[in-house]
Order: sequence, then C-alpha cells, then structure tokens
Amino acid sequence: MAEDSTVPSDLYQHVYSFLVENKFAKAAKEFLRQAKVKPQDQNEDSLMDIFNFWVKSPETKKRKAVTSGPAAVNGPSAKKAKKDADSSSSEDSSSEEEQAAPAKKAVQVKAPPPKKPAAVATKESSSEDSSDSEDEAPAKTTAKKPAAVKAAVQPAAAARKKDTSSSSEESDSEEEPSKTPAKVVKPVTGTPKTVSTPVSAAQKKQDSSSEDSSSDSEDEPPAKSAVKAAVPVKTPPPAKPAAPAVSSSDDSSSDEEDAPPSKKPKTGQFSAVPPPGTLTAQAPVKTPAASVKTVTPKAAAKNDSSSSDSSDSSSEDEAKKPAVKAAPAKAAPAKKAPTKVAPAQKKDSSSSDSSSSEDEATKPAIKVTPAKAASAKSTPAKAAQAKAAPAKVTPAAEESSSSSSEESEEESKKPAAKVAPGKAAAKRAPPKKTPAKVTPAAKESSPSSSDSEEDEPPTPAKATPAKAAPAKATPAKATPAKAAPAKKDDSSSSDSESSEDEAPAKPAATSKPVSTPKPGAKPAESSSASDSSSDEDEGPQKKPVTTPVSKPAPAKPPAAKTTNKPAESSSSSSDSSSDEEPKKKPATTPVSKPTPAKPTPTVKTTNKQAESSSDSSSDEEDKPQKKAATTPASKPVATSAKTTPAAKPAESSSDSDSSSDEEAQKKTTTPVPSKPATPAKPAAKAAESSSDSSDSEDETPAAKTAKPAAATATKSPAAASKPPVSASKPAAESSSSDSDSSSEDEKQAKTTVTPKAAPKPAVTPVNAKKAESSSSESSDSSDSETEAKKTPAKPVVANGKPVTKTPTSAAKTPAKKTAESSSSSDSSSDEEEPSKTPATKTPPATKTPPATKTPPATKTPPATKKQAAEAKAESSSSEESSEEEETPAATNGTQSAKKATPKNKKIATSTPQTFPRTKQKDSNAPFRRIREEDVEVDPRLKDNSFDAKMGANGDWGQKANNVLKFTKGKSFRHEKTKKKRGSYRGGAISTTVNSIKFDSD
Amino acid sequence: MRPGFSPRGGGGRGGFGGRGRGGGDRGGRGGFRGGRGGFGGGFKSPGGEGGFRGRGGGRGTPRGRGGGRGGGRGGFRGGAKVTVEPHRHEGVFICRGKEDALVTKNMVIGESVYGEKRINVEEGETKIEYRAWNPFRSKLAAAILGGIDQIHIKPGVKVMYLGAASGTTVSHVSDIVGPEGLVYAVEFSHRSGRDLLNVAKKRTNIIPIIEDARHPHKYRMLVGMVDVIFADVAQPDQTRIVALNAHNFLKNGGHFVISIKANCIDSTAAPEAVFASEVKKMSAENMKPQEQLTLEPYERDHAVVVGIYRPPPKGKK
Repeated sequence: MAEDSTVPSDLYQHVYSFLVENKFAKAAKEFLRQAKVKPQDQNEDSLMDIFNFWVKSPETKKRKAVTSGPAAVNGPSAKKAKKDADSSSSEDSSSEEEQAAPAKKAVQVKAPPPKKPAAVATKESSSEDSSDSEDEAPAKTTAKKPAAVKAAVQPAAAARKKDTSSSSEESDSEEEPSKTPAKVVKPVTGTPKTVSTPVSAAQKKQDSSSEDSSSDSEDEPPAKSAVKAAVPVKTPPPAKPAAPAVSSSDDSSSDEEDAPPSKKPKTGQFSAVPPPGTLTAQAPVKTPAASVKTVTPKAAAKNDSSSSDSSDSSSEDEAKKPAVKAAPAKAAPAKKAPTKVAPAQKKDSSSSDSSSSEDEATKPAIKVTPAKAASAKSTPAKAAQAKAAPAKVTPAAEESSSSSSEESEEESKKPAAKVAPGKAAAKRAPPKKTPAKVTPAAKESSPSSSDSEEDEPPTPAKATPAKAAPAKATPAKATPAKAAPAKKDDSSSSDSESSEDEAPAKPAATSKPVSTPKPGAKPAESSSASDSSSDEDEGPQKKPVTTPVSKPAPAKPPAAKTTNKPAESSSSSSDSSSDEEPKKKPATTPVSKPTPAKPTPTVKTTNKQAESSSDSSSDEEDKPQKKAATTPASKPVATSAKTTPAAKPAESSSDSDSSSDEEAQKKTTTPVPSKPATPAKPAAKAAESSSDSSDSEDETPAAKTAKPAAATATKSPAAASKPPVSASKPAAESSSSDSDSSSEDEKQAKTTVTPKAAPKPAVTPVNAKKAESSSSESSDSSDSETEAKKTPAKPVVANGKPVTKTPTSAAKTPAKKTAESSSSSDSSSDEEEPSKTPATKTPPATKTPPATKTPPATKTPPATKKQAAEAKAESSSSEESSEEEETPAATNGTQSAKKATPKNKKIATSTPQTFPRTKQKDSNAPFRRIREEDVEVDPRLKDNSFDAKMGANGDWGQKANNVLKFTKGKSFRHEKTKKKRGSYRGGAISTTVNSIKFDSD
Repeated sequence: MRPGFSPRGGGGRGGFGGRGRGGGDRGGRGGFRGGRGGFGGGFKSPGGEGGFRGRGGGRGTPRGRGGGRGGGRGGFRGGAKVTVEPHRHEGVFICRGKEDALVTKNMVIGESVYGEKRINVEEGETKIEYRAWNPFRSKLAAAILGGIDQIHIKPGVKVMYLGAASGTTVSHVSDIVGPEGLVYAVEFSHRSGRDLLNVAKKRTNIIPIIEDARHPHKYRMLVGMVDVIFADVAQPDQTRIVALNAHNFLKNGGHFVISIKANCIDSTAAPEAVFASEVKKMSAENMKPQEQLTLEPYERDHAVVVGIYRPPPKGKK
C-alpha cells in the first residue's frame, strides 16, 4: 500500500519530464495542473533509465514476452491489485467509498462515462486524503485514458477476466514486498508528508485488523489520524521482525552517505534515529512530523535521501549492468509503439521509488526496478498456468465430447446392426408366410381335385348297384350289357341317353324271361318300375323338343316297349297309365285324318298281294278284305287277337332253340351246315323286327278307337289289358298245347264281342287262323310273316299322314325281302328231314330277336330324324332313296358283325396295336446327316478296310493291320501309339499305286 | 467399426479350420494344399478357392511335357549302311536299310520338329540330313504309303494346309516344297497354334494363320493364290470348308487333297456311305474328285480323296 501511495507521486515528476521531452506541451500542462508536480531536469534521464533497466533485465524480458501481445495487460494488472486491497476488508471498502464519492463527482465532470469505472477503481484503491486522492485520481485517469482508448472493448473484457485470475497472484506479491517497503516507507512518508504517511499506515492497520475505531479515526483530521496510526504499529508482531531489516538497510544507507560529502549532515540526523530500536524508531517518526510542518522542503529532501539509500544498498552490483542495458532499452521503446504503454504504467508504479532516488543519483533508481520486475514476472507465470489449465480442460471436454460422439456412433451402429437382423428376420417371415399361404392353396386345390375325383366314383357306383340288383337272375349275361350302358349314360348327352335307356331296357327284359320264367317275372317287375320312371322322364323331354307333327313318331317307341312288356308277360298299372297318357295326346290329331287315309291302305294291300307268293297271297287276300269290311271299332279287337298268336309261336320257337343250339355246335365241324344257318338268322331277325313293329302299330290304333267313344274306350282298354295278362299266365304255367292257349284266347275274344254284334264275324276268322297254325309249324311261320306284312298297312291307314307313309314303305321293303328268304326256307322244309331242320332254324331266329331289337332301337332315332328332314325339305323322293340306302347298310353291318363276332374281336385287338407302333416309329426316328439308303456306293468302295485295298499283301503297314484290325476306339488309339515309336518295322516300302480312280475320269 | 469387423474374422477362421482338416485327411499332398487353403481363407474364400484350382491345373502341365520329352529321346537314333532313294512323289524319299522309312529332306539341318529321328547321309563332300516321316502321325504320309497316285505337293508349289494342328505334317510339307515353295498353315486352335508358330519361326516358308477356316475372308489379305489345298479338319462340314477356301484361294485347275473322317460326319452311318456322300458334295462344288484311298491301318475309318478344282475343258486337254 505504501508503494502504491508513493509510486504515483514519485513517478509524476518523471512523467511530466517525459511529456515535456516528447513535446506533449498540452498534456504536460494539464498533468501539472492535476498532479501539481514540480519539474526536475534530472528526473527526465531517470525515467528513461528506469525503463531501460526494466527492459534489459532477464525477468523484465519475460514480462515483455507476456505483455508483448496485449499492451493493456499491465494496466489491468495494476487495477486488479487495487481491487484485491478493496476486497480485503469491508471497513476499507466503506471508507474508500466515502472517498470515492467526491472523486466520482469530479470525474463525472472531467472524464467521459466509459472511463468512469477505471477511475473509480483507481480512486478507491488510493488511501490518501481527499485532496491528495483528488490530485492522484485525475493523474491516474489521464494516465489510464490512453490505455483505455488504445485497448478495444472486447480485449478489455478478456483482460478483466485475466485480471481477476491474476489478482490473487498480485495480492501475494504485494504482501511480501509490502512488509519491507512498509517499514522503509514509514519514516520516509513521515518525514516528507505527515498526511500521506498516516493514511498509508491507517490503511495497513485496517487491512490487518477490523475495528470500528479505525473508521472513526478516518473522519478525524489528517494530523490526528497520523498519531493514531502510530499506536497500532506497535501491536502487530510482523512489524517487529521487519525492524531488523530496516536497521540493516539503515547501515547500508549510512555507508553510501559517507561517499557524497554534500549530503552527510542530513544522513547524520537519520543515523541517530535507527540505533534506539523499535521505540526509538516510533519517536523519530513523530518528531520528523513536527519538523516537517515547520520546514516542508527540507523534510521532503531528507525522506528522498533515506529512500535512495535503501535502494542503493539493494542494487549496488546491478548499477553497472543497467547502464549497459539502458542504450538498447531506449532504442526498443522508440521502435515499438505498443510497448510504450506498458513502460508508462511501469513508470507510474515505480515513480515513488524513482522520485526518492532522483535526489541522490540515477544508479539507485535503476537498482529499484529489478525488484518490481521480479514481482511482475511471477504474475505472468501464474497467468500462463491458468491459461494452461483451461486449455487442458477444453481438450478434455473435446475428448469427452468426441468420446461421447464415438460412443453415440457406436450405439447408433450397434442398434443399426440389431435393427438390421430384425429387418432380416421380418423379411424372412413374409417369405415363410407366403409358402404357408401357397401350401394351403395347393392343399385346397388338391382337396378340390380329390373331391372332384371322389364325386366321379360315387356316381358310377350308385348306377352299377342299381342295375346289378335286377341282373342277379342272369349275372353273366346281364352285367356286361348293363355296365356298358351305364358308362354310356354318364358320358353321352340327354338325347343319346334317352335312346340308350331304351336299348338296355329291351335286352334286359327279353333275356330274363327267356332264361327262367318264374325268376324272370320278379326281376321283370323291378325292371318295369325303372322302365316306368324312364318312360315318364322321356315323355316330357320328347314333347317339348319335338313338334306336333313329329309327336306320333316318339309315340311309336314307347308303344313298342309297352307291347314288348305284355308279350313277355310283364306289365304294371304305372306302365299302363304312362303309356295311356302319351297315346291319348297324339290320338287327337289323327282322328281328323282317318277318312282320307282309308283309300290309300287298300291300294298298298293290293301291291302286297301281287308281291307275295301264291299260297300266302290267298291268306293275305282274305285278311285285307275282312279288314276293309270291319269298322274302326273292330280293328283294335283284331289287332289284339293277332298279337296273341304272335306270342305263341315265339314261345314254341324258344323251346326248340336249345336243340338247335346243340345241332349248330355239331354243324360247326362241317362248312356246309354253316351256310344254310346264315339265311335262317336273317329270316328270324326280320320276323322279330316285323313283330315289334306290328306291336307298336297295334297300340296306336287302340288309343285312337278309345277316344271316339268314351264307353267303348274304357271297355276296350280293359279288354286289351286282360288278354296280355291271360296270355302271360299260360306261358308262365307251362308249355301247354296250342289248343289250350287258343281256347283261352277265344274266351277273351267272346267277352269283347258281347258288347258289339259286328265283331263276331272277326272272331270266326281268328279261330280259322288258329286252326291253320295248329295244322303245321311251317304254315304257322308263314302266317306270322303274312300278318307282319298286313299289320304295317293298318298303321299307315290309322296314321293317315302322307309324311309317315314313306318310312312305313321303307320298313315294308325289308319285310318283303325277308319274306322271300323265308319262302325259300319253307320250300326246303317240305321233306321229313327238312321238317326237323325248320324246327332247328326257328330257334336261332328266336335267339336273334334280342340282337335284332338293338338295331331297331338304333334305327328309330334315324327314323325320327328322317321324318323331321322330310317335313323340312318336303322332298320325299330323295329322302326315300337315302333312307333305303341307310337301312340296308345298317342291316348288312349288323349281319356281318353277328356272323363274324370272333373275327371282329380279333380285328379290334389288332387295329389298336398297329397305330401306336407306326406312331412310335415316326417319333423315334432320330436325325441323320447321311441317310445310307439314299446314298449309292461304288462297288469298289464298299469296303474301306485294309484287306480290301489292292496291294494289301506285303505292304509296309500289313503288320500293323494285323494288330489294329481287331481293335476299335480307345484300344485302337492305344495300339496305334505303340506304332508311333520308332521301333515299328513294316518291311520294304513299295511305290505302287493302290488308289481307286473315279469313273468320271 | 468393431462390430463390423468381428464377423469377417469369424468367417475367415471357420474356412481355415475346415480346409485344414480336409488337408490332413488327404495326407502329405493334402496337408500342403490345406496350408495354402488356410492362407487363402485368411483373406477371402472365393480368392482362395480360385488359387487352389489354378495350382492344380498348373501341376498337370509339367507332367505332360516330361512324357513328351521321353518319347522324343527314344525315337532319335542314327543308322549305318543306309541309302536314300527318291520316292515316286517328287520331294519324298525312301530310306532303305535294316528297315525302310519314309523321309523328307530336312530344311533346317540339325533339328527335329516332334522328336523324329534324323538320318545323315554323306554324298561326297556334302552332307544331307533327312527326317523320318511316321505314317502313324501324319495322314499325308499314310496316304503316300497307302499308294496314292498323286499328292500334287512337290518342290516350288504353294500349299494351303487346313487344320495344321501342331505342325508335324506341315514341317514335312515344308521340306517337300523347299525354299521356293510356300505353306499357308491355317489352324483355329490357339493351343496348337503356339506350337505351329515355333515351327514357323525356324522354317521360313511356313506362314502360320491362327484363324477359323470357315471364314476365309478373315485371312484373305494374308494368302495369295495357291496351287494345292490339303485339308485335315475332321469337321461335319469339312467339304463345305474346303470348298469355301478353294473358291477364295485355289487356282483353276488346282488340286485338293481331303482327309475324311467318317465318324466326325455321321458316326451312325457306314463309313463307305459317308465317303460316297462327301464325294457327291464335292462334285456339287466344282471340285471334281479323281481318286479315293483308304487310310487303313494307320487310321480307322479314314479315307483320302484327291481331286481337281474347276478342271479345264476336256477339249483343251
């Protein structure tokens, strides 16, 4: 604190001289006004010297390095020290504030606002009286102003921060130097200025101790404060150890005083004070104060000399060095403008010391600077350390931040890696699901296919068992026939199904009764039930599909079926009801036409008579006459009577069939018997076909007759139904004589005759016919044929339709042919032996019926087609010709098929084998670049072997050939490689020509 | 970086272990290979595998070469009391001694092309060296020994040799045509072409053409008009190939010599039929066949057909 108080006052003189030398007249004047310092010529040199010493010294060099960057650093460092002093105690701060108040007011007027804080700080730090402080404050402000102006605002802020950090260092440095300078300063300050010394002492005391009394003392006048300040000096123990230092300094000062003779008397006065000791030291302080009051200039001189003595003693050796350094120091500040600011501040701080030493000589002033330089050096070191710390911290922070970023990166990477497998898993999951979905689809498809497959099997299974049941009677015969139709039914269309349904029904029904009458009856009933259902189904299908014109055509097939059933002795109410319904409907239309049809049948009958033989012609003539005479009512009766005799001959023929079969087997050995057998079969077929057609024709007229009369219709159907039942009974019972059956038939006829007298004459001709049949079998066969011929004529008349006539005529033509063939057979039967043969012939005829029936079934559909075509085209001639051609082809085909059944089978088996073979051959033909078949080879070149070559014997390669000719492929190469070596010897080489020349040459 | 690196290391180690085991099972050789495999595994498995396979292939080559050399040495030997007389075909000679041999005068004295034996004959002051011509190695030699009437290859003519292969027969053709003659050797395979080039380096009258004979236009700038075409290509369409080259290079009235290998054309047909069909094809291409000769027993199912290209009208003859 003492240094602070002395330093600025001492430096003022130097600063003033510096300003004057540098030609700062205005600044110098203002400085004088504010500082009130007297100019001294000697001081000028001293300021420069002080600066030079400071710069030259090594410690000072370090300071320069630190301060070289920011020039303002020095200023702030001083401020920091002052602030530290303020912070030391609250009392000091309060006192300083009071002092500062008036200083601030003055500053506000003098200095600009931004500079105020610096001035305030400086003023607060000062411990001198208000007047002294006012003087010092302006000086400090003026000195600091240039520093502030030069330094920028931002650097100032940074400097402040640094100042705070460096403040602790300055405080430490101040404490150490403060003790020694305090002791020295006490007498110095006391002698020249009583006011300044007590103030500094008071500040120090306040710093060391905190007492309210000290503040009160400050309020008192400066003289009193000085006295009080002296008292506390005694109490502090650190003051005592300082005393010996002071004494030592005094001794050194005494030695120096001896050298200058002019100053000796002054020094003598000071030497008297130190010897007494601490108490004596205090006493001389008081006394010098009084003397100072009286003679102020002298006292000041004495004080200066004492301070100079102490400085001289401390730096005697350094005196020489500073002198040498002075020259370069002077040059340096001139060159470097920024350095000027720092030295100015330094000068201010050292002004007090320099002022005291100026009185004596430049050397002691120079010596003083090194001490300050040392303290200054210490602060920069601490500052450097402080700087290092934050630098280290920042890198640490950076490292931490970088490490954290790295960790974050790692974390980000790790979760990314984790997520990636998650995504992969997710990706995998969908493909897994998709196959799962696909498999169910496949499974679903497979079940659907299996379902479809399963659906198919049950349908055939259902069909087969139903049909199999009726087939129990004759499993061998029935099963194959039924199986085929079942398959056909499944595959074929509705129309074809209807036709096929008819076909299987007929053969089944026929086969059963033939084999066993009794068991046949039962299966017949079951078959009839199925037939009825089929008939009902067929009815509605036919009606809507076919036109009214074609209605009679579909009526025929069901009529045929119904006739077959009663003939076979199988009938049921359901069948009759179904048959009646379709019959009635078609009957309505033909009723209107019967009258125009009448004349046409008579004409046809005459044609038939001419065609037939003389014997048969007589019978035929009788029949047509009767027919013409009889009324429409009588016709159905006649037809019913006719049907019964047809059935009888069939039964008789069936009995003989077995015997004929046996004979046929024997005959097979001889070719001759086979020939006659063939003509017999077609005759039988024709008879059966004619009988079937006659049955169908009979039914239609019955329906017609029923409609015109209600009573007659109801009765006649009953009569018609009864006769078939009675006929079936006798057949079932046994093969009784023809007479018994004929008698039963007669009774039935009588019952029908009773309602009407006209039919009676018809009955008699029936009896006559029966008698004729009983006479001989041959005559029976001829009669049946003649009846067949006649029956087709009746339906023609009944139908009355011209369109229907043509198909009937076509039907007649085959009948006639068959009649001719039958007549030839009859002629052969005249002889006794032939009498047996006709019996044998008739059985095959009966056998053929089932075969023949199938062709009619096939024919009927074409018939219907033909009728439709005829109606549309309306060209009967062309259609008739086509029909005739078709019918014979069908018959021929059927005949050939039947005759050569074993041959057909063979052919069937052979044909499928041939086709696949040819196909396979074609497909297996590989590509050939050269076809040997197409290449003609010269005979001489046919053999490419060695032996075939001319001159082979004795050739150089013969030995090799003997070995190589047996090899091929790999072995050839192996053997050949042996020959490649030089060891092969083939003998002599010939130059003969062995090549084959081409003919072209 | 660390997580990414670890999986790679693991993979590499696995590969190394597996290969090492395999090597051990195989034995000495296996161990050696296993070691290499491990090394490769350290870097990348695909690279290691490639290297492994490559090495295997490389080992095979030396063995083949060794075998070849052995054969060559065995073949070489000198003879005494031997006389050389010219063959019916100009440029071809017969060496008669303990055993007769077909020989050609060596154009490059002191060297053999494929290890054939050389015969030195002193006629007065001059020495003449002949090279043995093995019919089991050369189809042209087989044809000559078989009794072909004309080969049309003689000193001073220009020959185009299709299917030169390694150059064994080409070298003998070179000896026949001599320095004044020229042999254009066409070979498609680069492997054989390398050997052909070596032969051509020493025999300056051979011009090697490593090109496809099906495309004569590709080397038409290298070939002038030739007098004879010798074909030994063994291709299904060899007749067409010869025709193409004849159209491009063979002079009118020039001759062609074709060696037909029936099995290459159609192995399912009889060789006689194959030869006949090929002769037809030649006729259709303005190549009139003159003679045919079987190469049995030196070759199996082979025949040589000699003909003339665009023969002059008979009137001129």
